[in-house]
Amino acid sequence: MMLLEHDAKELLAADGVPIPTGILATTADVAPPASLAAPFMVKAQIAVGGRGKAGGIKRAGSVAELRHRLGELLGKTIKGQTVHACRIEQCVEGMECYLSVSLDATQGHLRVLLSPEGGVDVEAYAERGALGSADVAYNEREAIAAASRLADIIASPARETVVHAAERLITEFFAFEATLLEVNPLFVRPDGWWSAGDLKLVIDDNALIRQPRLCDLIRHRADAYPEMALKLDHGFDFVVVDPDGEIGLVTTGAGLSMQMIDELAGRGHPAFNFCDIRTGQLRGDPTRLINVFQWIAAGRNVRSVLINFFAGITHLGEVAKLLVMALKAVPELRVPVTARLIGNGYDEAIAVFASAGNPLRVEPDLDRAIELALAPLTGARP
Amino acid sequence: MTAPGVVHVPFVTPDVATLVQGMTGRTGRRHAQLMRAYGTRIVGGVSPKSDSDEVEGFPVFKTCIEAVAATGAVASVAMVPPLSVLDAIREAVTAGIRLVVTIAEGMPVRDAVAALEIVRAAGVRWIGPSTPGLAIPGKLKLGFLPDVSLAPGPLGIIAKSGTLSYEVCHRLVGRGLGQSLWVGVGGDPVKGTRFADVLPSMLTDPHTHGIVVIGEIGGSEEEELAAAMRDLGCAKPVYALIAGRTVREGITMGHAGAMIQGDVGTIASKTEALTAAGAHVFTRIRDLVDAVAASVGNAKGEQACN
Repeated sequence: MMLLEHDAKELLAADGVPIPTGILATTADVAPPASLAAPFMVKAQIAVGGRGKAGGIKRAGSVAELRHRLGELLGKTIKGQTVHACRIEQCVEGMECYLSVSLDATQGHLRVLLSPEGGVDVEAYAERGALGSADVAYNEREAIAAASRLADIIASPARETVVHAAERLITEFFAFEATLLEVNPLFVRPDGWWSAGDLKLVIDDNALIRQPRLCDLIRHRADAYPEMALKLDHGFDFVVVDPDGEIGLVTTGAGLSMQMIDELAGRGHPAFNFCDIRTGQLRGDPTRLINVFQWIAAGRNVRSVLINFFAGITHLGEVAKLLVMALKAVPELRVPVTARLIGNGYDEAIAVFASAGNPLRVEPDLDRAIELALAPLTGARP
Repeated sequence: MTAPGVVHVPFVTPDVATLVQGMTGRTGRRHAQLMRAYGTRIVGGVSPKSDSDEVEGFPVFKTCIEAVAATGAVASVAMVPPLSVLDAIREAVTAGIRLVVTIAEGMPVRDAVAALEIVRAAGVRWIGPSTPGLAIPGKLKLGFLPDVSLAPGPLGIIAKSGTLSYEVCHRLVGRGLGQSLWVGVGGDPVKGTRFADVLPSMLTDPHTHGIVVIGEIGGSEEEELAAAMRDLGCAKPVYALIAGRTVREGITMGHAGAMIQGDVGTIASKTEALTAAGAHVFTRIRDLVDAVAASVGNAKGEQACN
């Protein structure tokens, strides 16, 4: 997952990486502290690339203009993401360089990119040959050596400063098990001063288990990372994909859940959520199902729930008992529930539902189950 | 029929002698039995902590080296937790195992990169991480692909997603179309075997008449596959389903590899690359199943008549 710029910067700043002074603002009526003086940069905190080009970064010459810019940005949707917060930063000046370290997943190598010119148009520098590139083994020492070689096109004393910055940043890349670290611009001055003007950090979700500082950050900022905070707390994936979505999904398997969302969208009905509940990990405990039903019940526009369990190994009779328990525990879920079940123990599942008064409809065929689930929305008779 | 320049190396042989690493754990014990019941030649298990030298009728060894020496195993299915996968691969490779399947979900990328270096240096085939495994239906299963979706037949299956491939194959089996070889490559960004790595053996396998690709947003594997299709002169029909059209940038969807970053990993890029390489790309399961049934199903029928 991609960290928001503010969090990535504060995280690295705690290790001594120099960043421009800044604060996070969630409302427009900010009063910047004395340490933060005009002119300011106002930067929308959204986890997408190309933020500047998309209008997510503005300059403000005064506190009045700063508030005006915040008013413009907060609540705005940029590249499909709503801006809930902006980082307000001191404008800084200096030579603008570019540095990135990224994992080449295909080769299992690292790519180090370095340029004496930073800014929004890195692709253009690459075309002009101004962007140095090196592919090296996934190894801290080799990555630092590569950056040092790439910095040779920069004249001293800036070269030494860039090399120093690259060393610090590559160390951080490895310490946090990142898959991408990009600093653009990397501000450099003749006196050896440098600062990470913008910082993009993508971390490896699978490594969180041994990255306590990243886990703390995500838990502390759960509002900004609801999906990952939920996964840390509950051990499975649940993502609200559309707060106005009409169909709540209770599904297992990431690929099938994504496909279900696509299939519903293709029929003109947005899903409320993505869900990979991992039926194999339920082990007789309905807690995950109860949680998912509760979260779906909170969807303001949810009018139907569709369960899809393609159980390879899990016994459907056991799953059915858990579903009955969970539905009983979440009376606030008042919309029709359709379950598409397939796998071992189907007949037992049907019997379990029957003896519980059939709290949901069961259908073994996925397309027909989707039609059933959509019936309350379309008015069609299933 | 062998394409020019392609050396036929079978991905796996049906009677391959196979170990289960992590044999005495809950998952290992269960799946060792299920794989054996399916026909896989499970010759033993490895469990460093086990006090018993036998589980469910399988001999259990303390190390892979002992297990390989005693059984002659050349394949291994590692049923160990995510942070133990790297060690399991290292141990299997050191012991001389040539094919290792790791099913655990959640292996850190740094570990996967290290594992990749190990298997590449040794010339070992690694399937995983985060995969339900592979199968030659009717003969062999390494992992836990569900029986309800498996049947011998003319289709080669390459899938990032387990559950989506179960669904698609279940429906194809319902239309009379089973599989010649099914390889789940897993949903992680760094992995032992990628889509393009599986293509050559499917092109040369005389039992494979069509290839079904179950892709999803994120990474560049679909694009790599498209390049391999052009490079190898893919003469077999390829049908692809790519999940995640509605996913927004920067959010990981269950699979660690399923994340769009900028223009990389988008559905548009994958669809364009595969279509240009001659693949048929679908967004609905039903449409893919209908198309495969119409072409591969009919071709099979004609062959049977001839």
